[in-house]
Amino acid sequence: MREYLVILRAELFGLFISPATYVASFYFLSLLAIGFRFFIESFATTDWILPPLASLVTGLVFGAPALIPFLTMRSFAEERRLGTLETLMSAPIGSLSLVLGKWSASYLFFLLICGCAFCFPFLLLLMFPDQGETLGFTNLEQWAGGWLFLMAFGASFSAVGIFASSVTRNQMVAGMLSFTLLTLYLSIMAFSLGETPPTESIDNFSDFWDASLGSFADGLHKLQHFAVGLIDLATILHQLILGFFFLSLATLQVERLNH
Amino acid sequence: MTSEAKPLPIVEVLNLRKKYGTIQALKGISFSIGKGEIVGFLGPNGAGKSTTLRILSGLIPADSGEAKVCGVDLAEEEGEVRRHIGYLAENNPLPEDLRVVEYLNFRAKLKGLAGSRKRERIRIVLDICDLERKVSERKIGNLSKGFRQRVGIADSLLAEPRLVILDEPTIGLDPRQSAITRKMMERLRGEVSFLLSSHILSEVEACCDRMIILSHGQIVAEGTLLDLQKEFINSAVFEIVAFGNRIELQRVIRKIDETCELIQDDPVEVTGKRRFTFSTERGTDVAETILKRLLEVDAFRISEFQITRPDLETIFLRATKKNWEDQDFLGRNKKRPKVLGEKNK
Repeated sequence: MREYLVILRAELFGLFISPATYVASFYFLSLLAIGFRFFIESFATTDWILPPLASLVTGLVFGAPALIPFLTMRSFAEERRLGTLETLMSAPIGSLSLVLGKWSASYLFFLLICGCAFCFPFLLLLMFPDQGETLGFTNLEQWAGGWLFLMAFGASFSAVGIFASSVTRNQMVAGMLSFTLLTLYLSIMAFSLGETPPTESIDNFSDFWDASLGSFADGLHKLQHFAVGLIDLATILHQLILGFFFLSLATLQVERLNH
Repeated sequence: MTSEAKPLPIVEVLNLRKKYGTIQALKGISFSIGKGEIVGFLGPNGAGKSTTLRILSGLIPADSGEAKVCGVDLAEEEGEVRRHIGYLAENNPLPEDLRVVEYLNFRAKLKGLAGSRKRERIRIVLDICDLERKVSERKIGNLSKGFRQRVGIADSLLAEPRLVILDEPTIGLDPRQSAITRKMMERLRGEVSFLLSSHILSEVEACCDRMIILSHGQIVAEGTLLDLQKEFINSAVFEIVAFGNRIELQRVIRKIDETCELIQDDPVEVTGKRRFTFSTERGTDVAETILKRLLEVDAFRISEFQITRPDLETIFLRATKKNWEDQDFLGRNKKRPKVLGEKNK
């Protein structure tokens, strides 16, 4: 646990002092802010099935393949390029603590950026309370649902980025690999976005498990549940399984590098 | 009657083997290192030095054999051993964007140091490695090779290790920086055991209590410099600077020692003297007898007499020569090429 916290702190420090992180975050948030503004302006005249806050969450999820590589590509690829991974492993630290520490740092930074993005509707609500209320920004369940959705997806996406970084010495290759994997994953999931979710009854653990695994095929429509504050545990579990899978692969890769 | 208990060795290695694909990097090596000893690990490139050091550091596992470091069995508690040792990797990779003191702080925390003990240890290692305040505040990426090496050594000493493993600690350093590294080891002599690999033989000769010479994954020689000199160099070499006839000189010497051979005869500038180098298989004692006899002969007018001991380089080359000739580049025993026309027996 101690080693994990030390790695987490060091990685967070590394992210905070890296100019690349600030540049990526700035452009990401700027583009998101522009998109959010246009969406809010056009909301009244379009036939959107999702509430306005969910549009911000969608923007963050679909923008993640561009952001996550900037947060994760350095973690292992740079250590491998410089050879500092060996120095790091010469201290009493396990591969799992190392992978978890690096993953947690990028995950927390991703959530921090999501938190900054959530300031857009919050500021709108503070400055224009009436309009904010009309757009549904006063519904706490929408905030909580959206935040949980981002937490679930952010966990698995960061894990994919960490895995991509562990397989190469080149940061650019790591970044491109995580971008490709995440885009591919979202493309598959996006086919179902906007469709009416099928009615499901989960009576036992087996149904729950099937739903968790099945959420890969019909995944993003679950955002409609989260958007109105309905927590879909199967989606969260699906993302956790995905995150666990990629973190396990990254840990195995780090172990393999030492042998 | 009570017998005094012998202290346990810091490192105990028995029949250690390691293979990378088809290459047998270690072929069953065994050795031990006592408390406070400074042991030099020598060998040509690809001899298996770094592999052995990485195994002892708990970074990679051995395929078979036993290895105990500070009483910890590496096969059972690979990670635990890292709590007892300090390790400086070959080429000493360090994060470039951290300041020296930030890096040491990070490493100290990783090694379980906290609070006042952490601060105290950082202060001590900065002092031992001569990293004064100005350097400790600089970014590692801006430091010279010598200072970076000292940062790596400071890191390896942070957690008061009982064994410090240094893989090529002075590679690429100027003589002054190398001397500082040696001074640091001298300062800790007796308290900490050192296992260091190096290609700079004069340096190993100067600071190590004992040497282990490795070639093609096997230990080909082990012991103190004196032990190795006795084991590998049977003949003593002595130089005489004198006037006189070479044939006459040889005749006088041969009367005392028949095995003595003149191996070199050079003029000494414009003095008219000559420098004769002789080799004898009867050791240094006979050389002294020869000197006494030559002093009695006025014609030679001896102005210099020197017994030269073989240095570590000569020993190293002799020790690794046979092994080198017997192995191919994959570390396998070479097959004798069949002579044309030779019949299968």
